[in-house]
Amino acid sequence: MSTQRGNSETEQPVGIGGSVPRVGGRDRVTGHQAYVADLHLEDELHVKLVTVDCARARIGTIDATAALALPGVRLVMTAADLPDPMPRFGPQYRDRPVLAVNETRYHGEPVAAVAADTLDAAEAGAALVRVEYEPLPAVFTIDAALAPGAPLVQDPDMRPADPLRDTNVLREHRYGWGDVDGAKADVVVEGTYTFPMVTQFAIEPHAFMAAPDGDGIAVWSSIQHPNWLQRVIASLLDMPLSRVRVYAPDPGGAFGGKQHAKYEPLLAFMALRAGRPVRLVLTLEETFQAVRRGASSVHVRSGFRSDGTLVFRDIEANYLIGAYADIADRTVAKGSYTSAGPYRVPNVRILARSVLSHTVPSTAFRGFGNPQQIWAVESNMDEAARILGIDPVELRLRNLAAPTEAFIPGDTPADGRWAESVRRAARMIDWGGPVAPGRGRGIAVGIKSGPTTGLSYSTVRLLADGSVVVYAGTSDMGQGARTIYAQIAAHELGAPVDWVTVVMGDTAVVPYDQQTSASRSSVLMGNAVLHACRDIQAKLGRMAAKLEGVDEAAVSVDAGLVRIADRDEPIRDVLARVLGRLGGEIIGVGEMRKEAEPDHPLGGTAAFYEFNCTAVEVEVDRETGDILLTRHVTVSDVGRALNPTQVRGQDEGAAIMGLGHTLMEHYIFDDEGRIRNLGAIDYRIPTSMDLPVLIESEIVENGDGPGPYGAKGMSEGALLPVAPAVAAAVRDATGVSIRDLPLTPERVWKALHPDASRAGEQAVALP
Amino acid sequence: MRPFSYERPRTLPAAIDLLAGGASAAALAGGTDLIIGLRDGSVRPEVVVDLKGIDEIETGIQVDGDRLVIGGRAVMEDIAADPRVRRDFMALAEAAAVVGSVQIRNRATLAGNLCNASPAADTAPALLVYDASVVVVGPAGSRRIAVDDFFRGPGTTALVPGELVTAIELPLPPARRGAVHLRRTRRRGHDLASVTLAVAVEDGGRVRLAYGSVGPRPILVTDDSGVLTDRGSSAEARASAMERLLAAASPSPRSMRASPEYRLAMLRVLADRALGAAVQRMQGQPA
Amino acid sequence: MTEPYPIQVTVNGRMRTARVAPHHTLLEVLRDDLGLTGSKECCLVGECGACTVMLDGRSVDSCLVLAAEADGGEVLTVEGLAADGRLTALQEAFLEYGAAQCGFCIPGQLLSAHALLTTHEHPTRADVEEGLAGNLCRCAGYQQIIEAVLAAAGAGAAGGTEGRRRDGAQDGPVPSAHSDRPDPAATPDAQVAPQ
Repeated sequence: MSTQRGNSETEQPVGIGGSVPRVGGRDRVTGHQAYVADLHLEDELHVKLVTVDCARARIGTIDATAALALPGVRLVMTAADLPDPMPRFGPQYRDRPVLAVNETRYHGEPVAAVAADTLDAAEAGAALVRVEYEPLPAVFTIDAALAPGAPLVQDPDMRPADPLRDTNVLREHRYGWGDVDGAKADVVVEGTYTFPMVTQFAIEPHAFMAAPDGDGIAVWSSIQHPNWLQRVIASLLDMPLSRVRVYAPDPGGAFGGKQHAKYEPLLAFMALRAGRPVRLVLTLEETFQAVRRGASSVHVRSGFRSDGTLVFRDIEANYLIGAYADIADRTVAKGSYTSAGPYRVPNVRILARSVLSHTVPSTAFRGFGNPQQIWAVESNMDEAARILGIDPVELRLRNLAAPTEAFIPGDTPADGRWAESVRRAARMIDWGGPVAPGRGRGIAVGIKSGPTTGLSYSTVRLLADGSVVVYAGTSDMGQGARTIYAQIAAHELGAPVDWVTVVMGDTAVVPYDQQTSASRSSVLMGNAVLHACRDIQAKLGRMAAKLEGVDEAAVSVDAGLVRIADRDEPIRDVLARVLGRLGGEIIGVGEMRKEAEPDHPLGGTAAFYEFNCTAVEVEVDRETGDILLTRHVTVSDVGRALNPTQVRGQDEGAAIMGLGHTLMEHYIFDDEGRIRNLGAIDYRIPTSMDLPVLIESEIVENGDGPGPYGAKGMSEGALLPVAPAVAAAVRDATGVSIRDLPLTPERVWKALHPDASRAGEQAVALP
Repeated sequence: MRPFSYERPRTLPAAIDLLAGGASAAALAGGTDLIIGLRDGSVRPEVVVDLKGIDEIETGIQVDGDRLVIGGRAVMEDIAADPRVRRDFMALAEAAAVVGSVQIRNRATLAGNLCNASPAADTAPALLVYDASVVVVGPAGSRRIAVDDFFRGPGTTALVPGELVTAIELPLPPARRGAVHLRRTRRRGHDLASVTLAVAVEDGGRVRLAYGSVGPRPILVTDDSGVLTDRGSSAEARASAMERLLAAASPSPRSMRASPEYRLAMLRVLADRALGAAVQRMQGQPA
Repeated sequence: MTEPYPIQVTVNGRMRTARVAPHHTLLEVLRDDLGLTGSKECCLVGECGACTVMLDGRSVDSCLVLAAEADGGEVLTVEGLAADGRLTALQEAFLEYGAAQCGFCIPGQLLSAHALLTTHEHPTRADVEEGLAGNLCRCAGYQQIIEAVLAAAGAGAAGGTEGRRRDGAQDGPVPSAHSDRPDPAATPDAQVAPQ
């Protein structure tokens, strides 16, 4: 459990919408913020994973004799030491084994784990475990995985009734409306756009601990969804939820990669077997082999009338997911569902496939399946603008859904004035204004459906002195959820922000929260906190009415003030009177639900949409292929900025993360399916020297979100359209459209010098 | 990391004894490459010999007669900032300034960069065009090796077991000279070069060009014809002179950092740009 | 052959002695032997800077320094920045500008910034970008980190909405049009706040 208070140096304004310093910020600048790897348990054992050196292999005997003979080595766990059949888990399908059994399916999948008194001994022991294995044919690309007769990633017996069981297609998703084939278009624009495998690269590598805890088990994890994890562990160990305690200290960055269980089940089994606490801190290389984003190849066909009106969209997307489903198929479903864009399109057909491969299981990653589609569809939009001879901004404005327009039949109507964001971004980049030689401008929009279901509970305690404790099961992984909840409670209950303590990350103490994902936490948990505060206000009102001997209707409590017969008093003052001599506290309970809708293709409508418009100006060095972003503007429709400094951090952070997959990031594989650029030396992410010369973020606030005070979720939007905006600017500067990411100098150079380059010699990223 | 023992000798003879002794030994200066190798298991010594206790190996940079002497323990950050280096050996200052991050440059030594003999070593081309020598001490005494003779191949140098580099010497420029270091990387932040190159032009039109990361070792080539710096010479003549200089490049097709055709094309682009900049520097201020 | 190696190091002004394994890095010894977990472990190849500390007055990646090498040296870690519970100007600026998001890279960023300010009293924006390039931030709070460093150096100017330039122009935290307590019902019209 971690507990943090507001910055106590200064008393902050109570108001919402102020840039209250981050709650937990002080510990973050003094080195006292404790992440999982900073915690130690008495008598702990250190764990090292054992892997084999290829992607897919048949596993023979595992001989641990030499490892066990090493001083300090206490346990070598293999599949044989786990229940038979092998326990499996996963948020969508229970397909991932606790340890590989009989066969490995991706490079880095553990076949055994060594626990020892020291990390040195665990590492030395892991090197001594002898694993007999035989490499098997494997597939690492979309084409290879879909080829007739391709080796199957998943055992067909795992889905005997599925007509796709004898293919590597885990699932197909089909959406649409209207009649694409019957639609009459003046101009049809089509292309295939690819997006590489990229990895979350949280600076905190995943870390886990597990320890026997009375009759149960305690698990520590840098996880986003502690309650999910609790359920997974309870189910695998056949324990009641109440005997599984998950501690989830604030993750050091997560970005989706820490949503779901990875090695916690293994550690739980090891802790129970060893009867001692065990800990596993992944290396960065191991995190590359644990989480990534799905690669994709998206074919887009768009039909327009000659005036630019969209007539149809026909989209076929293949996502290369990994060896196990994790949450990847859901990213495919959700990313594809909105792929026609925030536009009025009368005829739409979308087909998306989750294609299994012998690669690292892909999972959630900021944008959740959408950046791949938006890259394709918005690039297609830019090409269409050029072919139609219509300005790209104008083309978008002409087709953008108006507020309240049902742009996806049966789903939440457009919930923002999206054109406002587009016009603002265009103005900021001086769209249509003069452009220096060698430079070009590009613009793109992105939309993402927010959470489709949700359940968050919060308990808030108003203590006798007017200070407040908020319990919220959200993980504060950098988005600043603690600060938002502290602001809400401070505002509602009239406490200074630094009088609010927010308790998170302990399933034995904090009420249930479904998950920290989909930019939901300000909206869903924020509302739960708000409701808990309002529950306190109602109780306080009743108590005050009784005390004053007035009718309950004569008392109202709001925004920190108690109003009795037109007289306002701060809650803190009234509280002392109503609590009386014994003191005590007032406990409020809040709940926020977004119910599932079983008939909806996604199981529920969007709680809100994240909408962003990004415009960039680039300078392209035609001789080297270098792209310099001279300007990057990003405009997000956030409903209401509860904390503008944090909003800016999310927007600009998402924008720069988007520049990573746009310009430099990709896994590079060898023929055996091993990641060649495994680790920080050859997997490049943006540094402080890779920023645009000028980056500006602005927000549109219309108070039209479903969250507290009109807020919407907003942590992913600014990443969504970065790649197509940059590619459009490169096209504007050079006349060349590039349909594959990342836009490395070499790729741009090859596009500009098609004769000078010979294809096939470079190790290119998959797919 | 696999265990090893650690020694910190105080004198050169003691260090040489350790390095030439029976046990497999690795010399440690800045450690920014060695420790990566120790961790990934590509280097597995029984003993690590830390050279930082040896006063005879200098950390500083001095002028000794007609040479600039860079101590064997001088780090990149100091070399990049040194006023004499910046005045007379600007290409070296530029190269040293892009080796890794500040934290790396605060530890990494020029001597270590040479001893690693990476084909992509950024300081190598500058040292080659400046005609630098390496001062080496070993069981058989001391010797000087021209940098061009020092590199043998990827990770291999002319050093024999027990030898270590105590200094790098650069002859002071005899006349006006302009020199430039340029490189290609995958991002603007620190990165390993896919082409790294230095050019020095002298008053008489002599051009010394060295390039790395386009073959198993950095290569030095020269052109004394004057064609390359003569504005009167034809574009064809200059192009063909440049082609001759670049002909020795042979980038590996197996690298994931850049394809051979891109490296070769960038070698030409960088060589042209560096040549132009070097001529300008020569005409402007001494470099 | 791998006898523990005795070291004596001044860490954050306090003399510490330890018998370290020769193959253990300064980072491991700080975190595991001395209990100073503020310095973080991530890439272990000197690329991410999460483990940055000052050693004898210079910033280094402590994952690439053997603990034995630090014998006799002086180390400053993030835990040693604040004195007597008072944050340094740099730490205050990081808080004020929202530079810390998840916070995992922040100890390293702070140490690199601290090192930069010891050699550059009045750094330009380019100096800061260069000085912090060895510290990866995946929340990519680079803008706010850079602004915080410039502000702490006394170079931070007043707020503005011009955005953030590379050429040395600086601006402070950008004021919001909604710094007052909002009344959602009272703002039906479109409002656009620069942030």
